[in-house]
Amino acid sequence: MAAKKTKRKPARPSKADLEFVAEAEEILERMREELADLADQRSSGREVDPDLVNGIFRSAHSLKGLAGLFGFEAMGKLAHHLEDVLDSLRLGRLSMDSPALNLLDESVELFSRLMQRLGKSNFESEAQSSVEELVARIEASLQQPAVSSDDFKTLDLDPSLLRALTEYEEHRLRENINRGRHLLLVDSTFEIVAFEEGLSELSGAIRELGEVVSTLPSPGEAPESQIRFSLLVASDLSCSEVTERLDFPDTNIRLVIAGTAEASKASHVAPETQDSSTPSPPVADAPVAKQPSVEESKADLSAGIESLKSISDTVRVDIRKLDELMNLVGELVIHRSSIAGIAERLAADSTTRRAAGELSKAQNSLGRKLKELQASVLDVRMVPLRQIFEKLSRVARRLQRDLGKTVNLKFDGVDTELDKLIAEKLVDPLMHVVRNSFDHGIESAEERAQIGKSAEGTIRIEAYQRGNHVVIQIEDDGRGIDPTLVRAKAESLGLVDRDAILTDKECLALIFAPGFSMRDEVSGTSGRGVGMDVVRSNLSDMGGIVDVTSKLGRGTTLTLTLPITLAIIQALLVGVGKQRFAIPLNSVLETLLIDCSEIQNSEEKEILNLRGEPLHLRRLSDEFGVTPSDEDRQYVVVLGLGELRIGLLVDRLEGQLDTVIKSIQGPIAQVRGIAGATEIGDRGAVLVIDVSSVIEDALRRRDAA
Amino acid sequence: MQRILIVEDSATMRSLLAATLEELGDDVKVTEAASGFEALRLLPREDYDLVVTDINMPDINGLELVSFVKRNEKYSSIPLIIVSTEGSERDRDKGLGLGADAYLVKPFEPETLREVARDLLSPSESKG
Repeated sequence: MAAKKTKRKPARPSKADLEFVAEAEEILERMREELADLADQRSSGREVDPDLVNGIFRSAHSLKGLAGLFGFEAMGKLAHHLEDVLDSLRLGRLSMDSPALNLLDESVELFSRLMQRLGKSNFESEAQSSVEELVARIEASLQQPAVSSDDFKTLDLDPSLLRALTEYEEHRLRENINRGRHLLLVDSTFEIVAFEEGLSELSGAIRELGEVVSTLPSPGEAPESQIRFSLLVASDLSCSEVTERLDFPDTNIRLVIAGTAEASKASHVAPETQDSSTPSPPVADAPVAKQPSVEESKADLSAGIESLKSISDTVRVDIRKLDELMNLVGELVIHRSSIAGIAERLAADSTTRRAAGELSKAQNSLGRKLKELQASVLDVRMVPLRQIFEKLSRVARRLQRDLGKTVNLKFDGVDTELDKLIAEKLVDPLMHVVRNSFDHGIESAEERAQIGKSAEGTIRIEAYQRGNHVVIQIEDDGRGIDPTLVRAKAESLGLVDRDAILTDKECLALIFAPGFSMRDEVSGTSGRGVGMDVVRSNLSDMGGIVDVTSKLGRGTTLTLTLPITLAIIQALLVGVGKQRFAIPLNSVLETLLIDCSEIQNSEEKEILNLRGEPLHLRRLSDEFGVTPSDEDRQYVVVLGLGELRIGLLVDRLEGQLDTVIKSIQGPIAQVRGIAGATEIGDRGAVLVIDVSSVIEDALRRRDAA
Repeated sequence: MQRILIVEDSATMRSLLAATLEELGDDVKVTEAASGFEALRLLPREDYDLVVTDINMPDINGLELVSFVKRNEKYSSIPLIIVSTEGSERDRDKGLGLGADAYLVKPFEPETLREVARDLLSPSESKG
């Protein structure tokens, strides 16, 4: 999800720190989940899943590596101890009852708290001292033997109660003692006919204050009519505090053993939920870590609360929710258009002209707000290309190993943002292009040495925004593509006529032709183009385009041009004969009104001299078989995508509108050149032209002619 | 008439136990309790000849129930069978230590339970 950058306090961590934080947070988040699972499994009395423990161990291990990589010594040390504890646990050297386990959550929280202080002055020294303190406690806890079942015999409890404990209850008892909780025995007598209600009320009240470890029924003083229950309770509250809060008749509360828990901490939180904040040595003479002073614990406590907040201020949202939101915005936009239409009609009538003016005003300000809303929703969908580039680096590292080539992958413009949906669809084609560069573009080290190139190849990937498009260039310094070889191959595959006159650029473009592959016999010499048609069709699906340039022996550059978003477009409404079409405005460079006599015919192609440059023209009426009007003057809509230009001849320009492209179901969905349909207020639906395919088809026809 | 109380929170297991024990004979009457609490309520109502209980239940556990029955003069002579999925030595020792007469680990053959039950229900009162 896009990290919407909000204004931050001045003392912000550096960019490198933020990178560390982003990754560490992810690991910590995972660890929190894993530790919660571990706690669940331990408390359920089931055997703990070894994979889970191993997973937590690996997380701690990654955390240690990460902290080391960024040179955070104290955090590295903390992670190291965390890893140690988990390693012992993983290898069975540490029992699941070890008090050290109770410090795992605390370690994770400390780590996350420390991250929040990154970049602050004296960070490292502060971190050092809090880590030392926790590490000392971890070490102390590792030396404490866990309370074993035999130790229960020393407890001041009726043996019948102890004997009736299940293994799980024993485990809970041990756990609570290890956590330093007070152990209390609550005795209460009920009438046997209605004991359940009273008992559940009592247990409910106790659960607010602590944990009910076991409930033992005994015969009451009058066994015929009474029943007595002895509840073994563990709580952070002292016996007197519990007595104060439990106001039940015929109930007697006594202390079994005093724990070390601080009552004040527990006063507002149910003890169940604050395990991590109850570090306490279980046995009186066990090595006790330095207790923080009152001031320190206050600070720690507030820091602990703060640490619950996520540092990166981001929310993960299912992209479908954003789609829904986008659809709603789109529908609002359409409704606004119909209000505008109503205002127009009202304005035509003198009796309603005044109201029309007001309506039109209101409609305009609604429009402005809708634009803002649209922009914010669009903005939320944006993700930086960094995410994709990181994936590419991983693939590149693997390719380096597999192919035994040393290639330096360089990225520029990693913060360029793109609609999440487009970004997702971009991954595969981009991966394909990079793989091709690796595989076929970059020569082997020996080959490079022979022709005087540096042994290490370079692939530079640059992204930047141009208007409503994002351009991604993949440039390698490899052997380049020989247009004559491409042409020869294309001829042999029957993709191009032997007599066709093609420029070098046009020959190169043949690599995108469906079915084209350099693979078999020519792959050794110049083999770019394995499935490049897939790249082109993928891009075309999202309204993008791919272009190639190459210098033999010097390298190849592929340029991908994509719209920033697909969700909402501004469209130019044009008319041909009785039909109307919408053209996405982001591909419209300009519109001209020309006299038909200005159109020049050259080899059956219609060309317009546009400021000295020839512009190939297509008639929209021809594209979709519509009968055009026979006006002398025509409009030319100049379409541009990447470096490609064509002029589209239409009869009328009917204005601009904001709209959402809806996909069409049924046979028309397959018509090439149509991207979808859109509603235009009360004026019905129109088809939206798929500019990329129209341009490609036009140029192909031009080239084939 | 032989009265048997079955204490088991799983409905499937409970009816399975009931069906198994009802096959002991026509004069066997099985009462079902879905929890330890329900068992505590049912115990004073009838003179049971046998109690069959599970260990892991939501309110009080089977061991606690056994402990209660055995410490209560009125019920202490009722034979008790523990049926549990917990098969460890420790649990068995615990159950038997509290005074249970038999400890069966689920799953078991229905006939095994019937045999144990037949033994525990005093022969003089059993159906001839």
